[in-house]
Amino acid sequence: MNALGFDHIEALLLAPLALIPFLRSPLRDTTLPSLLSAPADDLSVLVGNILKLSGVFAIGASLLGAAGPHISGAEVERFAEGAQIVMLIDRSGSMNETFAGRTPFGGEESKAAAAKRILKRFVEARGHDLVGVAAFSTAPMLVTPISDHIEATKAAIDAIDRPGLDYTNIARGLAMALSMFKTSEANLSRAVLLISDGAGVIDPKMRDDLKAEFRKTNVSLYWLFLRTEGSSGISGQPSGDDESPQAAPERHLDLFFKSLGVPYRAFEVESAEETEEALRQIDKLERPPVRYVERLPRKDLSALAFALALIATAILVAAKLAQVGLDAKGGAL
Amino acid sequence: MSRVIDILYRPRGRFAANHVGAHTSSEVGGFGVFRDQAPFMRYPDARRIDVRATLRDPFGATYVRRFEQRTAIDVCALVDLSASMGFVGAADRFRVAVELCAALAYSATRVGDRFGLFAFEHAMIEGASLPATRSRRAALAAVERLSAETPHGSSAKGVLAAAAALGATRRLVFLISDFRWSEGLIEQALDALALHDVAPLVLVDSAEVAPPKWGLLQLRDSESGRRRLLLMRPALQRRWIEAEQARRRSLARLASLRSRAPIYIRDALNPVDLSIRLTAA
Repeated sequence: MNALGFDHIEALLLAPLALIPFLRSPLRDTTLPSLLSAPADDLSVLVGNILKLSGVFAIGASLLGAAGPHISGAEVERFAEGAQIVMLIDRSGSMNETFAGRTPFGGEESKAAAAKRILKRFVEARGHDLVGVAAFSTAPMLVTPISDHIEATKAAIDAIDRPGLDYTNIARGLAMALSMFKTSEANLSRAVLLISDGAGVIDPKMRDDLKAEFRKTNVSLYWLFLRTEGSSGISGQPSGDDESPQAAPERHLDLFFKSLGVPYRAFEVESAEETEEALRQIDKLERPPVRYVERLPRKDLSALAFALALIATAILVAAKLAQVGLDAKGGAL
Repeated sequence: MSRVIDILYRPRGRFAANHVGAHTSSEVGGFGVFRDQAPFMRYPDARRIDVRATLRDPFGATYVRRFEQRTAIDVCALVDLSASMGFVGAADRFRVAVELCAALAYSATRVGDRFGLFAFEHAMIEGASLPATRSRRAALAAVERLSAETPHGSSAKGVLAAAAALGATRRLVFLISDFRWSEGLIEQALDALALHDVAPLVLVDSAEVAPPKWGLLQLRDSESGRRRLLLMRPALQRRWIEAEQARRRSLARLASLRSRAPIYIRDALNPVDLSIRLTAA
């Protein structure tokens, strides 16, 4: 772990060359009959030593850079308390409306803005959760993978009140959310938090696929249904005999979720306050410890070495440009 | 030596010599400037009996006039061949030294004086040395041999050997060097030459006394090969020039008790200026 390594260690065989500046000066000699006539000067001695060291660093650091030093990457095991949660957020056009089903006006808050505000507070309160964010409308999109970087997650949540568009394709969103979990970590507590304001019809083939996937990954499902005033609810019985999924998609989706065989709860909320209450309940449910592995990237140090060599070379070039000789112009004696 | 350069000089002090020449001496003779009167019995020169002095003498002694004999002297050039003499700045210092020797060889033999040449570095260089001779051809040949040498000595201690080789007769000695010596060696050399009439001819170059104001200067000592880096700036330039002035004061002080005042020859030989300084009383 964190071992220093080299890509081309053979370049360091030339390292003794870095001692050459102690033997030779980069400046051209000016012959003087006798050094007795040149006064001794401490500042000049200091500058001379700096130039020698610059030469050593220019050669040494270049060779070091050429050798390609790096700190090799490692896998670090970390512990977190909480659950792996994927927030699957509806980005369909209706999320831009208020709970009353209108375009936000004045001080009113759209469903997306309310969800953003409350979800951010939820994430902040649960600092040890591993949270991933995915969104869906017609097509699903991966926003951030599952991680404990709260800032990234908050930034992702910040983006969900951008104007949404298109329809609610819930099946593909769920498939993406499930794919974000690693099957090897099936022993962890994992949950999908589905936030939507409507439901779509899932075709029978997708139903079977999703069911198999849920069973395999063993993920709990929480559905936070932001119900628009006046629309049909999850549990509301249809008025007539019409029991087709097209007529009451919410109810049929609920029934489908219940048939999955994984822990499932639906929260039907009609205001921001109810949303908070629902999240508080989820918070209570998901609190087991989590162990996860984070990969540290390999760190390349050659840029540092080359930067050092560049600085040293710049000093030498400056010295070379400042070089003068003796000439006979003028003369005070 | 294409052009003929004549340098005039006048020896200081009394030179003893048997040869009649161009310079005043302590010898007495029958020609020249009147010196004194002597009794005939002490200086029996019947041709120069001073009739007036003889008649005036109450005891009847006979007196003879004596005159100062003008004599020839020995002129010797002692040339430093240490590596610092090979310095080429505004001028080629060694060429200037050779030119100076050639001028002295010509001028000395022209007035009937003898010219000797002694080159030295850490020891005397026999190949480029010549005992005093009246022959102009031999003197100029010695200068030719000198010009074939390359200054590469690491010290100038041979000046003591050269002083010893001059012998015990008083001579006019031109010590040609840049005097980049230690103070002790300058003192020893001038002491060793105290018997002679010594004229230190100091070769200086404009380049070594005009350091730059700004910049990085990598200096290499021509004799020891040591290097020193200087970050030139006005303060250091001033210190350099002050050190050079201090060196000149020190050389003047050392020379004041032992020889003539040092004569500085900057970049090129100026025979008129040098002659004026050498003939000054």
